[in-house]
Amino acid sequence: MRRTGYLHDMRYLLHDTGPYHPEMPERLIAIHNGIKDGGLLEHLTIIPASRAEQKWIETIHDKSYIRKFEEVCLSGHSTFEDHDNGICIDTYETAFLAVGGILETIDMVMGGKIDNAFCAVRPPGHHAEVNKAMGFCYFNNVAIAARYLQMRWGIQRVGIIDFDVHHGNGTQHIFETDPTVFYYSIHEHPSFAYPGTGREFEIGAVEGRGFTKNSPVLPGQGDDIYKMLIEKDLIPFFEKFEPEVIIVSSGFDAHEDDEMADINVSTECFSWIMETIMQLGDKYSKGRVISVLEGGYCIPRLPELAKNHVAILLNF
Amino acid sequence: MFVSRSMVKEVITVDKDLSVFEAHDKMKANKIRHLPVVDDKNNLIGIVTDRDIRSAMPFSLLKGGQNEEEKAKIADLKVKDIMTQNPMTISPMYTIQDALLMIQKEKVGAFPVVDSEGKLTGILSVRDLLRAFINVLGINEPGTLIGILAEQKVGQLKKIVDAITEENISIGSILVSRYWEPDKRGVFAYLLTNNVMRIKKKLQSLGYTLLDPMEWYLDQLPKS
Repeated sequence: MRRTGYLHDMRYLLHDTGPYHPEMPERLIAIHNGIKDGGLLEHLTIIPASRAEQKWIETIHDKSYIRKFEEVCLSGHSTFEDHDNGICIDTYETAFLAVGGILETIDMVMGGKIDNAFCAVRPPGHHAEVNKAMGFCYFNNVAIAARYLQMRWGIQRVGIIDFDVHHGNGTQHIFETDPTVFYYSIHEHPSFAYPGTGREFEIGAVEGRGFTKNSPVLPGQGDDIYKMLIEKDLIPFFEKFEPEVIIVSSGFDAHEDDEMADINVSTECFSWIMETIMQLGDKYSKGRVISVLEGGYCIPRLPELAKNHVAILLNF
Repeated sequence: MFVSRSMVKEVITVDKDLSVFEAHDKMKANKIRHLPVVDDKNNLIGIVTDRDIRSAMPFSLLKGGQNEEEKAKIADLKVKDIMTQNPMTISPMYTIQDALLMIQKEKVGAFPVVDSEGKLTGILSVRDLLRAFINVLGINEPGTLIGILAEQKVGQLKKIVDAITEENISIGSILVSRYWEPDKRGVFAYLLTNNVMRIKKKLQSLGYTLLDPMEWYLDQLPKS
């Protein structure tokens, strides 16, 4: 069994997106119940949230953007920058706790206290751009994590794998010209699904050309295409890149029962994806795989998906 | 939607007495395929395309070969010898729709834009039309496409737009297209949101069929 950390904190429920919003606090409750009822809790190192120092958020986001986000939250608005982005007065602090918890988790992995981790955070992050909140995301959690690994822990090459059904435009754009961070994403084809980026020809630019890889999947497709594309697009690129740490943008919204998109990935295939990522982690990254929650909106399916995900991290 | 708003205004032009070699270099340097030919008063007198040049030059020279004999043979060749004289032009007051239909009809890659006095004021290529079309589709902004099958009768689009508006969703574009069944229309709404769960359910409860994404075509009839 591996030593797996589980970033879990009830304060992540404080971010209230408003009525009828799919990115709801109940998601985390469902995830926690799945892990708990699966009998996994006792094997996990539970990591409570901690508040991030703003200087780490500033490695990705502009100060003026952070300030604006704070002002809009504290002044009681119900959305930030876009109607999609439901907020409440606690959203700003919760976003700091999400980043802080992930950075704390990184310290534990890099300090050798745990091998890998699942960070069950809200709000999600992969759509957030340097200067713009998008698609329920405010701070780009995984982008900040990648920079933190490099600046605090001297890691040279970070590999990001994003299997959320939506393309992580923010993460891609942040590292587009950077050959030290490889961004791989598999998602529903951008002609049909949000946010409209992540096309096959987006492969990075300038020095970062060849360090971004996208696998768009047409609506209605499922396991076979996912497995084929991951074997064809992800594995060979990571074999060449040899990431020292792997960060996973884990979204469960490609599930066949998730109504946010039109992709039909089965519960078993989600396990296959995670097992494949773990193999890459063992081979190149000393098992250092840090999974960070993004989307996934089918409340009845989240418990089992989360339980399987964590069991694979644990090698249970 | 006028040509004057979408055309390239700073046109790269050539003189009719320029050598074909130099015209070719100018195209390569600027990554363009059409060079309007103007006189000293900026009156349009012709156009030369990369295809005209390719037809005039032996393959080996195009590829940068150093065959001196072949080179000498066409060294004297001027733009005026290969250009199309009095090419088809459009006016800056043409609409984008005019230009789209004309480009399809005439099978050319670009139109010089001339004013009423025959002066060159711009050039509009397929590339510029594509850019205009991308703007019309709204796909430069993040959003989700949904396809809705609607009866062809008055008021259908209003019901759809009302439902979208009630959900507080901004619209990037709505395209209405023909459908296989004659009394139906495909409505393609590009919605500027990540959250289409509720609007999809709402449309279904209003009696609309959502089109299977894999069966989606912007043009539902066979090409004529």
